[in-house]
Amino acid sequence: MKRIGKKRYLQLLVILLLSGGPGFVLAQPVPGPDENIPHLITFAKDSKTSWGDDDFSQTFFFTVPKDFKDPFYIRIYDPETGGKTDELNNFWNTRMLYSVYGGKGCYTNPDAKGITPGGNYKSGTLLASRVFGMENKLDEQWYTFGPFNPADGEYYPKFSSNVFKIICDGLAGDDGNLYRYFLSRRPDTNIPIEGANAFTYEYTFRMWNNNDTSYVSHIYPFIDSGCVYIKQKNFDWDNDGDFIVVSTERKGQKLPLSNEDNWTDFNMPILDAEIGKSLDFRFYKRRGELVRNNNVVISVENQYGENLQFFSAPIGGVPVYRPRIKATKK
Amino acid sequence: MKRSLVYFIILLLQVIRPHELDAQAKGSFEVTPLSSVTTNSDEFAPVVVQDGILFCSNRKTNPFTTHKNFEGIRLYDLFFAPFDADGKPGNAVKFSVGLGKNTNIGPAYLSPDGNTLWFTRNYLEGTKLKKNQPNNLGIFTARRRGSGWTDITPFRYNDPSYNLSYPFVSSDGKYLFFASDMPGTLGKYDIFMSENSNGEWSKPINLGNSVNSEDAEIHPFLHGSGRLYFTSDRNGGQGGLDIWYSVSSAGNWSKPVVLSDPINSESDDFAYYAVSSGQEGYFSSNRRNFSDDIYRFATTIIRWSNCDTLQKNSYCYEFVEEKAILGDTMGLKFKWEWDFGDGTRASGIRTDHCFPGPGVYDVSLDMINLITGGIEKRQASYELEIEDVEQPVINAPDKVTTGETFSLNAGDTYLPGMKIARYYWNFGDDTEAVGINVSKSFPLPGSYNIQLIVSSEPGAGGVIREVCVCRDIEVVSNGN
Repeated sequence: MKRIGKKRYLQLLVILLLSGGPGFVLAQPVPGPDENIPHLITFAKDSKTSWGDDDFSQTFFFTVPKDFKDPFYIRIYDPETGGKTDELNNFWNTRMLYSVYGGKGCYTNPDAKGITPGGNYKSGTLLASRVFGMENKLDEQWYTFGPFNPADGEYYPKFSSNVFKIICDGLAGDDGNLYRYFLSRRPDTNIPIEGANAFTYEYTFRMWNNNDTSYVSHIYPFIDSGCVYIKQKNFDWDNDGDFIVVSTERKGQKLPLSNEDNWTDFNMPILDAEIGKSLDFRFYKRRGELVRNNNVVISVENQYGENLQFFSAPIGGVPVYRPRIKATKK
Repeated sequence: MKRSLVYFIILLLQVIRPHELDAQAKGSFEVTPLSSVTTNSDEFAPVVVQDGILFCSNRKTNPFTTHKNFEGIRLYDLFFAPFDADGKPGNAVKFSVGLGKNTNIGPAYLSPDGNTLWFTRNYLEGTKLKKNQPNNLGIFTARRRGSGWTDITPFRYNDPSYNLSYPFVSSDGKYLFFASDMPGTLGKYDIFMSENSNGEWSKPINLGNSVNSEDAEIHPFLHGSGRLYFTSDRNGGQGGLDIWYSVSSAGNWSKPVVLSDPINSESDDFAYYAVSSGQEGYFSSNRRNFSDDIYRFATTIIRWSNCDTLQKNSYCYEFVEEKAILGDTMGLKFKWEWDFGDGTRASGIRTDHCFPGPGVYDVSLDMINLITGGIEKRQASYELEIEDVEQPVINAPDKVTTGETFSLNAGDTYLPGMKIARYYWNFGDDTEAVGINVSKSFPLPGSYNIQLIVSSEPGAGGVIREVCVCRDIEVVSNGN
């Protein structure tokens, strides 16, 4: 099958971003509704990696369509560490730093696209930041950054969007901070921006606290043009259930999961028909003995070692496998 | 010597007696006298050579000079009748320049390259012959030189004490068949065979009592089909000399079968020769008068040269989930489950299924999540329409024994939209039948290709549609 060219790919991506599937209007929740992930998680820097965070930092990017000119807000659910939805270690002593970046280099700086907080990963212009400790009034509440001017982002032609970056760093302590994001048109309620999306290169999240296999979380790596194979890496999965990949071309291929405090990886060839679409990584909780408070990390790179994006609203929509029957007379 | 041949012919004429017909189904041949070569004299033993026919005749060729034997019968000689533009033999001319003087010459066989002539001739030429001196027939070869023949060479096993005549060499040049009353003969005349090995002809062997009888067997002709045709006055024919054939299997010749009317008749019918297709040829007969004449035969049996082989109706299919088969099928956490729409199911990315018969089947594919047990119903569907093959259908046993009467029927013929007017059967042995249900028996073992030709009633403009299928039936000897 003929690979799509770079120019064609850009056109396709713009079309997908602007007019994409049903997930786009709801793209601003992070994790996205199609992902069915209960929370993002970032541990403070004194935590052990075996608790489920390899680097105590998580970066997400928001894309705001260039035609959207109104002020917008980045909202954080349960930004503080303490209360009901965070992970306590002995006593609450954690301080988390959320910082929002825009401007030149906030996305295009190579350090920003890494999967570890190194180099100039805080590239761009700092637009807002705040440190959260244990703040009961924000427990299970929304905190709002903004308003932001869309023009303050870094315009990225490939996306036809202005890109903003939000980093959550575990500054101090040893607790786990569970949280969510929402890119909103309003400061006090979650009103999505049509055509906006969010993505990350390394996903650190909390699995469901349930030993029912019907609890399935998804993430959707986007397969860029030129991708021949991917290498998925996951960390500290505690062998909790099954990890399978579904695409428009494959149904339910099992991939390996890591165990306690270790990494595992697996190379998977990419089919021509999967180019320009999203894969569906499905994570089924283990049946039987419950793996409680399971926090995990995953990233994907291509054959060049370039990290692939996980979009909260999968590009091209959630991939659906449609079998194709061929009948041959014997 | 001339008297010997005449005696032999008279002897054959005297053995005419009524016979019973074999129970073989009636063949369909059109027989016509070959008027272009017919005279008041005898013409017989035609063989097709490159561009005409070669035959034997005692016709008068010179208004002033006639060569006769001591009994006053004109001597036999070879004549050639070239084919005309229509492929029919025209007027005959004398052929045997240089083969002998004042002697009976013929019958003969010409090699496919036209350069070697095998022919029958008296041992002694007439100028050296005294009255009542024996002069039997022998087999000779000659080599073509220009328009004549040279190097007249007697067959190695010629013996003036006996007759050797009617030579015929197989198309590969390996076997010589002839008739003789040489020692070892079972009856009056028998068919013998000699094999050419490294240029040397073996000592002739008698073909045995299947072919030969206590009566006379002459005029051997081995057709490319493997049938050895010969002439005999044995019991079982229609009268006088009749034409029979036998086939060789594992070194044994089968019980001979007599050809049916109209090739054989109550008169003498002999010296059969068929072209390679077997659909036409020549033979000799005195059925119209006392003299022997050459007749042409051609089958009127319909046989298609391009007849479709009967296809077996198959209701079995292989189902493949194409996308899954292209990918890595190791470690899949889904199961593919097929619903064939006929009340049966099967699992797998690839599966085979045989449906009960023609019909429309709604084949669908469910996908079962092996982790959750959840079923994703009808993820793909396929409407499969199964029809019988549009063809006439020959229902018959695959194998029968010789002499066994068996039924054939065309009742399962599936030709939608065709109003069938006629079912015509060609049994592959020059016999035929008409009807949706017919019966047949084969006298000889072998593999027979049966053709069923179905004709429609006339349609618009009087057009009749015909469809042909064929299949083989193996006939094995019943051991008798």
